[in-house]
Amino acid sequence: MNRTEIHRYLKQFFLENDSPILEESDSHLHIQLSVAMDKALMNRPFYWHYIEKIGGQPAPYQLTLITDAEKADESIKGEKIHFGSPRLHQIFQTATQLGRYALLYEAVSPAGNSLPLKPWLVLNGNISYCCDHKKDRFFSIGLSLITGEMINDAAEQLKNKQFQVQIPDYCFTISPVIMPEAGLERIRKYFIQQLEQEAHIWAEEAVERWKADEELLEAFYDGEDEKPDSYYQEKEALRAQYEPKIDIDIINGGLFYCHRHPLDA
Amino acid sequence: MIPDIRFDEEWVGKFLESLHHPQDWGNWQQFKMALAAGKSRLVESFYGLEAPKHLPSLEVFPHQFETAQTVIEKMNGKAILADEVGLGKTIEAGLILKEYMIRGLVKKVLIMVPASLVTQWCRELNEKFYIPAIEQRKKPAWEQIDVAVTSIDTAKREPHAAVIQSIDYDFIIVDEAHKLKNKKTKNYQFVKSLKKKFCLLLTATPVQNRLSEVFHLISLLKPGHLGDESSFEQKYKQEDAQHELNQLIQKVMVRNRRSDSGMNWPKRKVETVPIFFTEDEKALYAAVSSLKTKWRGIAEGLAFTTLTLQREACSSKEAVYMTLKNLIEQYEYHTGIRDDLAEIMALINNVNINSKAEQVLSLIQGSDDKMIIFTEYRATQLFLQWFLGQHGIKAVPFRGGFKRSKKDWMKQLFKDHAQVLIATEAGGEGINLQFCHKMINYDLPWNPMRIEQRIGRIHRLGQTEDVEIYNFAVQGTVEEHILGLLYKKIGLFEDVIGKLDDILEQLPGDQVEEHVANILLHSDSEGEIRVKLDNLSAVIAE
Repeated sequence: MNRTEIHRYLKQFFLENDSPILEESDSHLHIQLSVAMDKALMNRPFYWHYIEKIGGQPAPYQLTLITDAEKADESIKGEKIHFGSPRLHQIFQTATQLGRYALLYEAVSPAGNSLPLKPWLVLNGNISYCCDHKKDRFFSIGLSLITGEMINDAAEQLKNKQFQVQIPDYCFTISPVIMPEAGLERIRKYFIQQLEQEAHIWAEEAVERWKADEELLEAFYDGEDEKPDSYYQEKEALRAQYEPKIDIDIINGGLFYCHRHPLDA
Repeated sequence: MIPDIRFDEEWVGKFLESLHHPQDWGNWQQFKMALAAGKSRLVESFYGLEAPKHLPSLEVFPHQFETAQTVIEKMNGKAILADEVGLGKTIEAGLILKEYMIRGLVKKVLIMVPASLVTQWCRELNEKFYIPAIEQRKKPAWEQIDVAVTSIDTAKREPHAAVIQSIDYDFIIVDEAHKLKNKKTKNYQFVKSLKKKFCLLLTATPVQNRLSEVFHLISLLKPGHLGDESSFEQKYKQEDAQHELNQLIQKVMVRNRRSDSGMNWPKRKVETVPIFFTEDEKALYAAVSSLKTKWRGIAEGLAFTTLTLQREACSSKEAVYMTLKNLIEQYEYHTGIRDDLAEIMALINNVNINSKAEQVLSLIQGSDDKMIIFTEYRATQLFLQWFLGQHGIKAVPFRGGFKRSKKDWMKQLFKDHAQVLIATEAGGEGINLQFCHKMINYDLPWNPMRIEQRIGRIHRLGQTEDVEIYNFAVQGTVEEHILGLLYKKIGLFEDVIGKLDDILEQLPGDQVEEHVANILLHSDSEGEIRVKLDNLSAVIAE
């Protein structure tokens, strides 16, 4: 994310979380935190514990974030935010928690006849190829729980549509033919099949490095009848260092009831 | 081959659960924001460095960037970092650690550094790298803390050692690792006993000095890289195997030198300042020197102490006084020696002018620039502070024994309020004073490495001015010998950066010191000293 994107993201994040922007420029944001955001970000559990115990009037903090330190007016005192800064990391963490699971309905307003909404299971996440190195591959999968059709780039397809948490008026949902649990299983199998067909040269190379180091280790302790603890320790360390594995992690996902097929504009 | 595949069952479990008990559902906006946040931390290539993107305010020099990349991509995260002083080994280590943490390959980290540097490491990791490193001192919580910084001395003691050994650390850093060269020490054994997935050993001393030391250090990092001990010694004792050995070492060691760091380093301007004693100072020095041979065969220890007294006499009468007082107590019952010592004591009282201090004064008064004065003696340090104070010059003291907070305070005082900082030897390690570019070697250590460390305090990354170094040497004394016959001959102060490295690879600093002491102690004439020092410098400069 670049500076402008971060600025826009932060503004949206606080507005979304009931924390009004009191003052702003292109390069800074002055925010009145809500109680929930103060608790999530300001790290003062004792204060909140105390206020709640005595039933006092809560006074959540205000926060000033400088998103472009070069452009910001020098009179503005605040935290400098950039990609990689701890505050942004913390906000990302909070955001990730808040939007990890969803059950949403496409916001349509039918003129007359009532409309059916069909369930899609959407998973966003990453496949991580790990050894002593690591790389991530993003995925966003949509699975129709009616037909079993699977689409890639689901998030991209859905992003310009509107969804809401309550079922819109004059709409009704169609019950899944495939239950969510079975749907998840289908997606899991799909990934495994796909991964089994890939050529994992990176993993073979990691194993080569592993074996090479292990041979050196064997030679080092060669001739010792009873190997010392350090031998087993080192051997285990090499495994931890090199052993290739693949993690499929989910960033977020949920059930989306769509009126139109996601691929239809 | 197909590696093990793990699916995010935790997410699945919670998702299915919330289908039955609706809660924690995010709205559409929240969902999109969570996705954007989650996507931002993905790294889509095995190669390259992500860390600099996260650290926009950190100035990373090309050699540091390359080092981090080499260690991660070519050395698989196990390496000895052996840059020359002042090139930023800590920055390199921080970059490497950060990279692994960003990529999620490292979570549990143990960093072991000399006790005096624990706080500084913590601060640098937190401030420069946003790595939440926490000092572990009196009441450590090894299990709870992900990034722990401690001293080896704390870590190796029970009950800590057992806890640390039971934890699966992903990353271990040892600073000042040259102290781990002896495999029999407890420190060595302790580091050996730890599971090292990724590991960095940091050292400023070239490791090629002694074969067995190289062997032990590398075997700690990567056992077997140099074979086993007996075959190693047999193989590399021969000259022609050296090249092969060097190649092997380079596979696990990075050593950047100033000369090839590709940067425009500020120049070093070195000036020898000859000091001429007053008649009183001369008399004191001569009296002290006469002790060397006079009691030979009767009090052998005295000859060695004479070397110390001579060096002190070149520094200040205050320094001589402290040693002399102790000697008088020691030889209380030996009338002859006691009388000689008493005579010297009387000569001390005659000395009213310190020629070196006068010289300091004239150097300082000439400009407003800040100046660091290095002396070997605390008594001299105190005297100089008082002396400069008498002339309206503010000076702050600095010693290795100061607590970290006091060191920081003194550094700040020096930066903002005082013109002069007077440091004793031990004050050298781990403090960076690149805002000052002038320094006086008020007296010279006999170990060239220590001189380099002194200079390294100001001649380092971040120094913008040319560095001026003034070496004081009293004419007609041991100082003139050391400076003129040894240091100058071997080119220690020449502007050839990296020269010292070559020297120390031939002969470690502590050995130089030993040789010099022996020569001075066992020579009966100026001529003899000259010849022997000539030989020594020839050996070193070979």
